Amino acid sequence: MRKVGSLLLFSLLALGTVSDALAQRLVTGRIASTETNEPLAGASVVVIGSALGTYTADDGSYSLSVPQDSVTLRVRRLGYKGRDIPLPAGRTSADVALERDVLQLEAQIVTGQATTIERRNLANAVALVNGADVNRVPQASVENALQGKVAGAVIQTNSGAPGGGVQVRLRGITSINASSDPLYVVDGIVMSNVAIPSNQNAITRAASGSNPSLDQDAQVNRIADLVPGDMETVEVLKGAAASAIYGSRAANGVVLITTRRGRPGAPQFNVTQRFGWSELSNTLGSRQFNSVDEAVDVWGPAAANFFQSGRVFDHERELADRKPLLSETGLDVSGGNENTRYYASGLVKHDGGIIANTGYDKQSLRLNLDQRFGSRVDVGLSTNLIRTKAQRGLTNNDNASVSFYMVFPATPSFVDLQPDADGIYPCNPFVGNCSNPLQTAALMTNDETVWRYVSGARIVYQAIESPSHSLRISASGGADYFAQDNNLIFPPELNFEPSDGEPGTILLSNSNNLDVTVSGNVVYGYRPASGSFRATTSIGGGYADRDLDIARITSRNIVGGRSIVGTGTNVQAIEQRQRVKTGSIFAQEEFLFLNERALLTAGINADQSSVNGDDGKLFFYPKVSGSYRLLKPFGGLDELKLRAAYGEAGNQPLFGQKFTPLTITQNINGLPGIVTQGTVGSPGLEPERQREIEAGLDATFSGGRATLELTAFRKSVTNLLLQRTLAPSSGFELEIFNGGKLRTQGVEAGLGVVPVRTDDLQWISRATFFVTRSKIIDLPVPTFRTGGFGTALGAYEIEEGASATQIVGNDTLPDGTPVVRKIGDATPDFNMSFANEVTFKGFHLYGLVDWQRGSDLINLTKFLYDLGQNSADFATPVVVGGETTTAGARRLELFGRQTAVYLEDASFVKLREVTLSYELPSSTVARLLGGKVDRARLSVSGRNLLTFTDYDGLDPEVSNFGNQNIARNIDVAPFPPSRSFWFSLEVGF
Amino acid sequence: MLTTTSRTRPVNALGSAAVILTLLLSSGCNELNVPDFNNLDLGDLETNPTPAKIAQAAQGMLIGARVQVGEQNGYVSLLGILGRESYNFDPADPRFITEMLIGPLDGGSPAFGGNLFELPYRNIRNGNTLLGAVDAVAGLTDEQREATRGFVKTIQALDYLDVINTRDDLGAPIDVNQDPTGEPAPIATKEEVFDHIVQLLDEGSAHLQAGGSSFPFGLSDGFANFTTPASFLTFNRALKARVEVYRGNYAAALEALDASFLDPGAPLTFGAYHSYSTRSGDLQNQLFDPTGRAILAHPSIITDAQLRPNGALDARTSKVTPLAEPRTVQGITTDLVFTIYQSNIAPIPIIRNEELILLRAEANLGLNNLTAALDDIDFIRERSGGLAPYSGPVTQSALLDELLYNKRYSLLFEGGHRWIDARRYGRLDKLPKAVSTHNVISRFPFPEAECLAREQAPPEGCG
Repeated sequence: MRKVGSLLLFSLLALGTVSDALAQRLVTGRIASTETNEPLAGASVVVIGSALGTYTADDGSYSLSVPQDSVTLRVRRLGYKGRDIPLPAGRTSADVALERDVLQLEAQIVTGQATTIERRNLANAVALVNGADVNRVPQASVENALQGKVAGAVIQTNSGAPGGGVQVRLRGITSINASSDPLYVVDGIVMSNVAIPSNQNAITRAASGSNPSLDQDAQVNRIADLVPGDMETVEVLKGAAASAIYGSRAANGVVLITTRRGRPGAPQFNVTQRFGWSELSNTLGSRQFNSVDEAVDVWGPAAANFFQSGRVFDHERELADRKPLLSETGLDVSGGNENTRYYASGLVKHDGGIIANTGYDKQSLRLNLDQRFGSRVDVGLSTNLIRTKAQRGLTNNDNASVSFYMVFPATPSFVDLQPDADGIYPCNPFVGNCSNPLQTAALMTNDETVWRYVSGARIVYQAIESPSHSLRISASGGADYFAQDNNLIFPPELNFEPSDGEPGTILLSNSNNLDVTVSGNVVYGYRPASGSFRATTSIGGGYADRDLDIARITSRNIVGGRSIVGTGTNVQAIEQRQRVKTGSIFAQEEFLFLNERALLTAGINADQSSVNGDDGKLFFYPKVSGSYRLLKPFGGLDELKLRAAYGEAGNQPLFGQKFTPLTITQNINGLPGIVTQGTVGSPGLEPERQREIEAGLDATFSGGRATLELTAFRKSVTNLLLQRTLAPSSGFELEIFNGGKLRTQGVEAGLGVVPVRTDDLQWISRATFFVTRSKIIDLPVPTFRTGGFGTALGAYEIEEGASATQIVGNDTLPDGTPVVRKIGDATPDFNMSFANEVTFKGFHLYGLVDWQRGSDLINLTKFLYDLGQNSADFATPVVVGGETTTAGARRLELFGRQTAVYLEDASFVKLREVTLSYELPSSTVARLLGGKVDRARLSVSGRNLLTFTDYDGLDPEVSNFGNQNIARNIDVAPFPPSRSFWFSLEVGF
Repeated sequence: MLTTTSRTRPVNALGSAAVILTLLLSSGCNELNVPDFNNLDLGDLETNPTPAKIAQAAQGMLIGARVQVGEQNGYVSLLGILGRESYNFDPADPRFITEMLIGPLDGGSPAFGGNLFELPYRNIRNGNTLLGAVDAVAGLTDEQREATRGFVKTIQALDYLDVINTRDDLGAPIDVNQDPTGEPAPIATKEEVFDHIVQLLDEGSAHLQAGGSSFPFGLSDGFANFTTPASFLTFNRALKARVEVYRGNYAAALEALDASFLDPGAPLTFGAYHSYSTRSGDLQNQLFDPTGRAILAHPSIITDAQLRPNGALDARTSKVTPLAEPRTVQGITTDLVFTIYQSNIAPIPIIRNEELILLRAEANLGLNNLTAALDDIDFIRERSGGLAPYSGPVTQSALLDELLYNKRYSLLFEGGHRWIDARRYGRLDKLPKAVSTHNVISRFPFPEAECLAREQAPPEGCG
């Protein structure tokens, strides 16, 4: 750390003399759009190489005192291409027209913790999604809004349950056992994305089966709480080459979200009102029985009491029979003057669910405040209060015959599950515990309520600003706190409740999470008078503290029908707490030279963490990158940038992995006991280390009408946190240690084209394409399986030399020998997306298509239906080896010998987003809504309207175990998918 | 307005930077230590034992011995399926039928027998850690140390017995106290494992006899009759009797029975049990499944039952009761559920008086003391089954049939007795198969993890 200090000292001493500006002149002018000549409010006008600057007013005008000498003004506004305007001595006016930057060529991209660079110079393939793109169609969770918009990001929902549960995987597999989530940073504050299970396992007993994972509760990862409408930009750093500065938390990439801030001027209000509905978009269907004999043959003699020829019930549609109202009301206001700017927003959102007692509600209030003190100090404050309530139903795996789609496979289509005239739901006679999903949905509660408060402050002191030198010192700090309450109520009246002898179950979990982020940075910029280069030196440090405490109460045998846990006679309490402290320091040098055509960056981060075996040890994560822009290298090409970047990042051990634990939470008849857990910790545990190299080119064609980005990357992850399986006869089963190596490489392409651009018609088309492949290069432990339910039902197998996402299963060689071998791979062959946006006069049509090709999925829901001899196609005749059998019987016959019969292709093409909107002409707006209204827009939109897939299950986007490094794509009784339709009115005044 | 430019003072800038850096570095470096909030560290028990921790670890032995017993995929349930006493129709997992009734058993399925290996060994390890801590701890009297050792070794013997009962002629490792990351212990033969169990029980017996009048820890309700070293010794001897019968040392078995709690005057239920409660942190008995969601009883329990003098079925058939509707899964039909465990806190027998009387009959039968054997068989027939005295031929083989009938009905669904006994007497092929493709499996394979650790020289029982 001393070294960092001396670097700082050196930088400061290197400062030259500081110039004074004495005589001044006043320059005025107007900034407008080239296309429409509309005034641009809030554009910044600064004198290059000084602290002099201002913003334009509502009418686009500005006035600025500048030195008498010849200077250059830099004019910028978000969404427009910036311009540098030379201002010779003596000139006192400058009107500037800015061109829209539809392909985001000039956006500012964050390169460090306090530095940015123009995208055209950037040496990494950082994806930038602006707020407008995030908010094209309303979505349940912000990750949904990024689907298909980021090359290299596989973003998939885990089920159709309202309220979230979405995995973002950037550039393929980066770990086997450590965290799989990117780091989310909102306005400099680290936001927790932890997914806390609801404890529905206490009623489903899913973990008591052959996979003891507690992640089968359809949990929501908490980034779902964010409000997309507040986002100005979302930047996605996809791997270590770009994210090294975030050290040991950045191996899965970093998602940097910047929220909207105030612009000087009169208050600008925007009101958005949306209404819509959603509906079930797919069902599985079940077997139709043609005769009582067929029914008795499958369901036993009892079936004769229920079978009636021609009477068929579609239980899935009976369960998900709703077309619930969706609504969203948003209001934001922005304004201020040059010293004080504010942005405030409010949101009330209600999404009904397609199943009784499901749905999602969100309310949010945000205030972002910026205050300038004098000419050198800027303070920014951000606060956001959010409440969400997700009602999640009861889905996913179980071993208690309670989860909706675990009961349907055991329920014949001729049984009526509807309540009688008195509202009494019948016992489901073919399930041992009488479980009736229609009743379960009607009477149960599974509510997840989150209150979240995020607040941060940032102070920037512009210590020096001269044509040659600038020194900026900044400090920021903030906290993300949330309290999550899971309240699950299964009243004694439920048919299945008495089956454990303890009618009625109430589950209450209270989780508190606090993430505190503190950081400080010093940025020194130097540009010699000749202007031949620009050097930016930054150093800084940070501290992050994450404290998560989960307390759960399970209460059974409920008295009195209230929802408090104290009413049970069998009350179990558990608590789990984890805390991770991480300290870091970093230094970075950016060197922009050759007339801003070449950029070289080098940096290093060092961090230490409480979860490492040695919490005092520093781990170093360097990065280096370079880019060079060729201007008009050959015909048709405006600019070609070549770039390459290398960086390292870490993935921390999980809390507790370094310890060898003895359980102290169990007792027998009240006698407390100490017992081993079977895991051997490693006191020397270190973070996983990812080394990523990426190289690519960015080309701009046809006067900025087309861009092409091509990137190839290779990530090597060493020091993997592995579990060594021990001989159980030692009394231990697992040892956690560092070792092995995995490699993920891939190619990404992004194409942006503006095929048509006239005064009336504009068509923007974007496409992304990417391929990733992951391979286990070195594995110092025997091949092991992760995820799944054993080889008979398909499992992921980590094997040296094989794909990290290979699926293995039982198979039979031609000579009849049983083997376990690879039967598929969850990694898609490729992903593509196409977004098109056509604007004609006031009309605007937008559509986004997301295409995944060639990913394999284990369809255990189908297996469950087959076991019940109840699949829709079960009785379909098939001919095998000359003998006629049925499709279902054939699959069952092969079960255990050929797992591949339940492996399916999860390729899909989805129409993710469609919007047609109409911007009312200003004259009409004025006539209809009065002169105060500036603009009004009507739109019709839809999400997930169409899915084209050969997959036989409900939805090829599925994960029974939630977010996973490897073991996604396991379909066990998920929440059914829905599509949604919206009408929106947006008004600005 | 941003338009004023004032003179900058590098010294101030430097000062601010220094202050910020100092703040940052001081906030971070030295305070990153975070303990394990949720668990005790193993090293803490090994190197820093106290009498209180010893007591809790001793009580932990009863938790560790219980953990695999009463689950729906536990010892009683799985061995019950293999011995055609029970079924598990859990619609979520067909392997209760495809593996347990058809086979082969998959060593890679931890829930289907791997648990019956890993969990007993984990508890044996608990015991070894505790024995080390007992030697090291200050503040216990020698008698308390001896009492603790005797208790620990007896429970360890029970865990070894669970292991060898499931692995049978594959044998099992004995030397558990290895470096878990090193070479695994050699696999001993079934006979060697039995020898080791007897050795542990005999050493335990000696410790208990030197253990004074009380244990320095508590015992669960299931051991209410064995709360002193002296009374616990009668449980130790009962286990020994079972093991001696299993390995055919009938004289030694009779000797052990004499020192056990066998008492024809006591209730047949008198004995040692795994206990359950609904206290927070305690376990419940998952074999309690009154509606038969998953656990059902085999129909042959009714069809094989003998008749009482009044024409009614053997009174022990009251351990099952019919459902309103029969249930059919994968071609298997039954309409019976168990009534043995009448609540989720019903205790599960470890060993009890009724078994001891039957073990005495079996030992006498083995020694060809047919009269003595018949006395005990008739005693159980009458007391437990309400049956008339045995009236068939009094030969060793006929009486063996009768003994096994009574063991089956007396110890129904209490711990795989029917499967173990059928295997011991070569009668597995006589167990009923509901579907012709079914098989009777004679033992569990070694779990996959154990095999992986032995890849150099894979023993029999590894795929």
